[in-house]
Amino acid sequence: VQTILLLIYAVAGGAYAVHFARRDRASGHLSTTMLGIAVLAHTFTIGMQTMALGHLPLAGTSQAVSMFVWLLAVSYLYAEMTTGERAMGAFIVPLLVALQAVPVLAPVAANRTPILDSPLFGIHVSSLLFAYASFALACVVGITYVLLFNEIKAKHLGFFYSRLPSLEVLDRMNARAVLVGWCFLTVGVAVGAVWAFQAQGAPVPDPRVAAMSWQDPKILAALLSWSIYSFALWARRSAGWGGRRSAYLSAAGFAMVLLNLLPVSYFLTRSHNF
Amino acid sequence: MGDAASLRLAGVTPQEPMHLLIVGVSHRTAPVELRERIDFAARGAGAALRGIVELPGHSEAAILSTCNRAELYVGCQDVGVSRRQLSSFLHEFHGIPADSLEPHLYQHADAEAVRHLFRVACGLDSLVVGEPQVLGQVKDAYGAATEARTAGPLLNKLFHWSFAAGKRVRTETGIGEGAVSVSYAAVSLARKIFGDLKGRSVLVIGAGEMAKLTALHLKSQGVDRVTITSRTLAHATALAHTIGATTIPWERLQAAIGEADILVTATGATRPVLDRSHIEPAMRPRRNRPLFIIDIGVPRDVDPSAGALDEVFLYNIDDLQAVVRDNLSKRAAEISRAEVLVAREVEGFMAWHRSRGVVPTVVALRQRFDEIRRSELARLEHKLGGLPPETRSRVEDITRLIVEKLLLSPTEQLKAVPDAETVILYSDTLNRLFALEPNGAKHRGTGQPLAGSEKDRANETDAAATPGAASKSDDKVIT
Repeated sequence: VQTILLLIYAVAGGAYAVHFARRDRASGHLSTTMLGIAVLAHTFTIGMQTMALGHLPLAGTSQAVSMFVWLLAVSYLYAEMTTGERAMGAFIVPLLVALQAVPVLAPVAANRTPILDSPLFGIHVSSLLFAYASFALACVVGITYVLLFNEIKAKHLGFFYSRLPSLEVLDRMNARAVLVGWCFLTVGVAVGAVWAFQAQGAPVPDPRVAAMSWQDPKILAALLSWSIYSFALWARRSAGWGGRRSAYLSAAGFAMVLLNLLPVSYFLTRSHNF
Repeated sequence: MGDAASLRLAGVTPQEPMHLLIVGVSHRTAPVELRERIDFAARGAGAALRGIVELPGHSEAAILSTCNRAELYVGCQDVGVSRRQLSSFLHEFHGIPADSLEPHLYQHADAEAVRHLFRVACGLDSLVVGEPQVLGQVKDAYGAATEARTAGPLLNKLFHWSFAAGKRVRTETGIGEGAVSVSYAAVSLARKIFGDLKGRSVLVIGAGEMAKLTALHLKSQGVDRVTITSRTLAHATALAHTIGATTIPWERLQAAIGEADILVTATGATRPVLDRSHIEPAMRPRRNRPLFIIDIGVPRDVDPSAGALDEVFLYNIDDLQAVVRDNLSKRAAEISRAEVLVAREVEGFMAWHRSRGVVPTVVALRQRFDEIRRSELARLEHKLGGLPPETRSRVEDITRLIVEKLLLSPTEQLKAVPDAETVILYSDTLNRLFALEPNGAKHRGTGQPLAGSEKDRANETDAAATPGAASKSDDKVIT
């Protein structure tokens, strides 16, 4: 099922790339339609999994990444429909395709342990995934900001100049995405901490819960990205770090998020491998 | 097509379809001295339009008059005759000797005329390809024609079609994209940096004509605050007064740069008045807010070193001109795509035009059928007379419905005929088969109030008489 989703996302990504280069109406409609189909199919898949499992498919990296892809696709589609701005799709949708490859290559999944039945676990994972989706958006917007900035600065008005919205708009989108992401990250980490604390008092001790501490790479990386984004917010507010500086920071922050989401989850963590 | 035209001229179809003809001068064919003299705005387009439709054989007229072109659009019976009449109309109306006007006139008839108007509306025929004003001017031309009541069914459809074609070509190709004047290039850059210019502030250094024009242009694009400074404060104050701006003394320049979003320099100085050392300290309090410097002074007012600063975008007049050149070449590359779209639109319009050629036949056919229906009812009156009134009206309804049903398919088929020859063939066949009125004058009387007077005058002039004369005049037109 995940493979079919990957294929639909890939077709949509191709359509967005074509539309970005050609800018004609037909390919634009095709792009949005394909992404819409992908999101609907994905929604259906998640719905079926939820029915089968009795809870949202959030446990394990593969399920989490797939959920993340779905959230990002939905948020992007919403942004596109409200702003009428399709240029970002050429950057976002390929990212979706790359991430959707994860659940395809690493299928799940064993039964989950009863300690995950707490409602706090659901809040923990979904708010973190939402935070990551926002950060992905901030990163992509930041990259396009830098590309456009360099074109204008170099007085070589070309490819991006005619396709992207203004620097001001990109900067504001970046700022909002970072802020929203930071809020969800904060909530996610806090809820996770509370839940881990509760789980330690469980009748059957779980080695993974015991491993939840500052030293665990997964938790460390999350805290690190939290500090990067906190700094980005603080610097924008007090030192006017907008534009390129904010763009670089959100790229660094998202690199950390991706690192945390994939290699750390698979190979390094001892606490989060559910 | 040529055969069809001569058939039509020879009067094979009595309800001769109207021809579309354009006669005019443009920047491509006439020098500005001549174009200036063909100024309809000065002499009143309304009077000219009425003058044209009073010419024999003309039923519709519109005038497109801009600084780059003056064109007459007419619906006429005979292209060759009309061409000569319009040319003499032009030289009489504007008092220009015929021999100095004639070599500069061009004409397009029927499909070529449609193509011409569509190309004009898209900006394909403009001096600057894709410029947007011309579509508005085409709309004005149509507005004047409707006001003077000289736009009939043909021109109504034609002009509305041209608005849609112009809009379509502009949105589906890059023909109108990118600024093609220095001032628009500057504004579009400012928009790419700041988004909406509302709420932005501009600092203008210099009080000359260029400074004034740029400040006015930015104001018209939504900039709220314009501040002017100059070494001679009196000049700055005078300019600020005329355009509604504020001034600051030259000594406060640095602080003012710190506050501005856009800095325009247009001084007459022979050496740069600003360099990196002026801009750099002003950037610190801005907290990374970008500064867009437009240096339109010649020679330059801002030393290029300032452009190396972070968050500073420095464009001088040469840079802006390079942007304009680049945009022009991009537009040129879109021309062929635009021409394809225009060709498609012309095809669409001509299909409509042909379908309109069958209208008189359709009308005659309907009337013939209805006549038969009525006469049959009248013949059976003695049998139907005894029916109660509601049954009587039911009979009336049923017979009408049968006639409608019988005519539905033939009408649709006629309107869908793809080429002019077949239209004539079908019309002719129907005329014979159903013994239709050989001359639809009876039915056309209401639709074309000018028809009667036209015919009278056409008899007086020798021009419209024979097809031979018409084709001879066609040859003359082409040479």
